[in-house]
Amino acid sequence: MAIQGAEQTILRDPALFYWILFPISIVMILTGILRHYATVLMNTPPKSPSTLAESRERLALLRGVNLRNNACSVLDRESFAMRKNYMVTGFRNGAFLKDPSNRGQPPANPMTDPAGMEAMMGMLKGNMMMMIPQTLIMSWINAFFSGFVILKLPFPLTIRFKSMLQSGVMTRDLDVQWVSSLSWYFLNLMGLQSVFGFILGSDNAANQMAQQMGMANPAAMVNPLQPGQDPDKLYLNEAENLEVMEHFCILDGVEERILQNFAPVGI
Amino acid sequence: MPGPVADIHEISGSDLISALHLAQQAPAILQESRSGVTSSNSSETADYYARLEQLLLACLRTGDDQSAHTCLNRLNLRFGPSNERIMGLRGLYEEATAKDQLALEKCLQEYDNTLSQSPVNVPILKRRVALLRSLNRPSDAISGLIQLLDAIPTDAEAWCELADLYQSQGLGPQAIFSLEEALLIAPNSWNIHSRLGELLYICASDGDASQLLGRSVQHFSRSIELCDDYLRGFYGLTLASTRMLDNDYAGISGQLPKKTLERLKAFALLKLGEIVESRSIDDQHWASSRSEMIAAKELLNRQNNIQA
Repeated sequence: MAIQGAEQTILRDPALFYWILFPISIVMILTGILRHYATVLMNTPPKSPSTLAESRERLALLRGVNLRNNACSVLDRESFAMRKNYMVTGFRNGAFLKDPSNRGQPPANPMTDPAGMEAMMGMLKGNMMMMIPQTLIMSWINAFFSGFVILKLPFPLTIRFKSMLQSGVMTRDLDVQWVSSLSWYFLNLMGLQSVFGFILGSDNAANQMAQQMGMANPAAMVNPLQPGQDPDKLYLNEAENLEVMEHFCILDGVEERILQNFAPVGI
Repeated sequence: MPGPVADIHEISGSDLISALHLAQQAPAILQESRSGVTSSNSSETADYYARLEQLLLACLRTGDDQSAHTCLNRLNLRFGPSNERIMGLRGLYEEATAKDQLALEKCLQEYDNTLSQSPVNVPILKRRVALLRSLNRPSDAISGLIQLLDAIPTDAEAWCELADLYQSQGLGPQAIFSLEEALLIAPNSWNIHSRLGELLYICASDGDASQLLGRSVQHFSRSIELCDDYLRGFYGLTLASTRMLDNDYAGISGQLPKKTLERLKAFALLKLGEIVESRSIDDQHWASSRSEMIAAKELLNRQNNIQA
C-alpha cells in the first residue's frame, strides 16, 4: 500500500508531457471538429412528403393530438362533439391514409421501402461517425502510449478513482493522483463537450442553415411517423384517446375570472 | 449588426409605417452587409438572411422594387432557385411588379406549372391562393385553400386566411369554424381569440343571437385573460356586452346574469379609458395601431354621451 501522508514521486521525462499529453488532446479536439463537420456534411434533411395525400397522412395525427390537447381552451360542447366525431370516424375508417386500399395489410418491409432505408442509413451514418474515429484513436493510443503515466493531478482523490484515472497501468500502489495516457484519452472523450461548444458554437449552430432552408414548410418539418410504422395503428390509438375524452372548457366562467383577477374592487 | 436594423423583428405584417421606415434604410443595409456577410458565423448569417427576407417584403410594400430585387438576388445566391421558400418569394416579387392583369395570369400559370411538378410546395400553394384572391376569384381561392388544408391541417396561418375569405363571402359559420381550427393549433393566441369574438359578434345579427353573443363575450374575455392590455379585446368586450344588455339577453338559458354583464361592461370601459390615455402619451410608439385608438376613443365618447 502507498504510505499515507508521504508524497510519492516519480521521475518523469518532461518530454512525456509534450509528446503524449499534448498530441492526445490535440488529436481528440481535431477529430471532434472533423466529426462535427462530417456529420453536418452527410446529414440529409428529413424528406418532405411528395404528394398531398402523404402529407395528410402525416399531419392528420398531429391534428388529432392538437384537438385532444387544446380543445379545452377553445371549443364549446357542440363544436367539440362535432370535431371529435369527425376525427374518430376518419381515423377509424382510414380516411386520412395515403392509400386506404392498403389498409390492414402488414407494413412494407423497411428494407425494401426506400424511405425507411434512407432513415436507417442516416442512423447508421451517425453511429459510424462515432464508432470509427474512436476505435482508431484508441488503438493508436494503445499501440504507442500504453502504460505511460503522464500527469499528476494537483489535488488528492479517493481510491475509487483509480480505475478511472489509471487504466492501462497495473500498479496497485501507485497514488490515485497519477493519470495514465489511456485514461487521459477517456477523460478527453467525455470532457471535451464544452470545448467543442466553445469552438463550434452551441451544439446546433452548424445545423442552423439546414433548418432555415426547411423553414416555412411545416409539412417537411415534422413527421410523427417513424419509418416502418403503420399509420393505421397510430390512428386507431388516437381515435381511442379521443373517444374517452370528457369535454370541459376553460371558457366557462372566464368572465367572472377576469373580473376577479383584473378588475379593480368596486366595479 | 447594431443600430438601425436592431428592431427589425418588431415589424408586424400590417404595420405600414415601420415597413416604410425599414424600406427607407434598405440601400444602407444592403451596402453595409455586402462586406460583412462572409466572415460572420453561421447563426449570424441565418439572422442576416431572415433580415434580408423582411427587407424584401418591406421594399415590395413601399414600392422600392430595385432594392427588393437586390435582396431577392442575394437570397437566391445563397439558397438557390429551387428552394421552395425562394420560389415563393420570387413569385411574390413577380406579382408585386406585374404591370397588368395579363402578367398576373401568367404568374398563376407559372404556379400551376410548378405545382404539377411538386404538389407539396407550401409557399407556392399559398402564393397561388393569395393571387387568386387578388384576382378577385374568391371561390377558387377558397377551394385552393381547402385543398391545401386537407393536406396540411396544422397550418394556423392558412386557417386564418380561410376564415377571412369565408367572412368576405358572408359565410359566417364557416369562418367561425376555420378560426376555431386555427385556435386549436395555437390555443393561447389572444389576437385570434378576439378575432373569433369579433366574428361571433358579427354573426349574431342573424341566427341564434343570444348564444353567439354569449360565446363572443367569452372569447373576448379569454383574450383579455391572456393579454391584459389588449385594446381590441376590451373594445370588443364593450360592444358585445352592451349589445347583450340592450337586447336583454342576460339571464336567459345559461347566459350570464345581468349584474355580471354590467360589471364586465364597466370594467372594459374603464380599461379602455386607461389604455387610450396611456397610449396617447407616447403616440409614436403606438403609431401602427392608430386606427384602433381612434375607434376606441370614439366608442368612449359615445358611451359618455349616453351616460350624460
